[in-house]
Amino acid sequence: MSSVSFDNNSNNQDFELNIASIIDCFTVLIAFMLASAAFVSVGILDAGIAAGAATASDATPPPIQITIELKKNQTMTLKVTGKAQQNTDITSKNGEWDYPGLNQHLASLKSKWSTVDAVTLTADNDTEYKHVVRSMESIRKTMPIVLLGGF
Amino acid sequence: MSRRKSFIKRSGGSEEMTLQITSMADIFTIILVFLLKGYATGAVSITPSQGMLLPEAQASSSSVEAMKVEISEKGVQIEGQPASALTQFAFAGAEINSNGTSKVLSAAFEKERKRQLMIAQSNTDVKIDPKIIVIADQRAPYSTIKTVLASAAIHGYTDFKLAVIQGE
Repeated sequence: MSSVSFDNNSNNQDFELNIASIIDCFTVLIAFMLASAAFVSVGILDAGIAAGAATASDATPPPIQITIELKKNQTMTLKVTGKAQQNTDITSKNGEWDYPGLNQHLASLKSKWSTVDAVTLTADNDTEYKHVVRSMESIRKTMPIVLLGGF
Repeated sequence: MSRRKSFIKRSGGSEEMTLQITSMADIFTIILVFLLKGYATGAVSITPSQGMLLPEAQASSSSVEAMKVEISEKGVQIEGQPASALTQFAFAGAEINSNGTSKVLSAAFEKERKRQLMIAQSNTDVKIDPKIIVIADQRAPYSTIKTVLASAAIHGYTDFKLAVIQGE
């Protein structure tokens, strides 16, 4: 790669490319890029709000409305209103939010009401944002649309 | 930074030796390509404030461009400009309206909305965007998040994109 030979009028001229300057450039570039590189990747979670439109939508409302409330004691309350009425408390398991339990309930609702694909998520005032985000992430496995509510 | 060194054999006779740096150039090329590839692959280019802890979640990596609202322990920033002060993630009591919005933040969002409207009026290619990117600290209480989102929503910003750190 670094050695190039020319055959000109039967005179061999063998010389070596000087790549020391290229190495210098690369060193500076790599140092600069390493210094400015971001080693964490930022992603985006889509969220709307439960009631934010200026004008009323023409879309047919779903048969049931599902609301999930996050409590500070790691209990989630699943409220179903509309054609079905349900109020279920999902308590924490081993000191953790019981997301599998919540998804089980949501999956059973989804199997019964296949047109329902949105959930409104609210939380107690003291609930930390990270729990809201984790709940959204978990709910989206069953219900693709998660709207933030409570305001 | 000379890379060419000459060595003199002790046992008589001299021989010039050239350092082989071709392989080093190859390695540097690979590292450079790798770094360039990963330089701007994030969904959104954000620079959170010092001490900010973003929540972690599995999220989409599609690129989004929208107004950025940052909620940190000491304040709320809109497009990098301080909009409202917070004390340990909490708004001052007098700042909250009866509808749960913040007076100062509402004014800041209104100003941004008016600016967007003015641009949209003079340039038909520009559409009024309901999207905002929310960059919030994971320790922020939901009450603060609610206040910020409500203040944004009353001015037409209803499509929230929550910035998170991509989990495994």
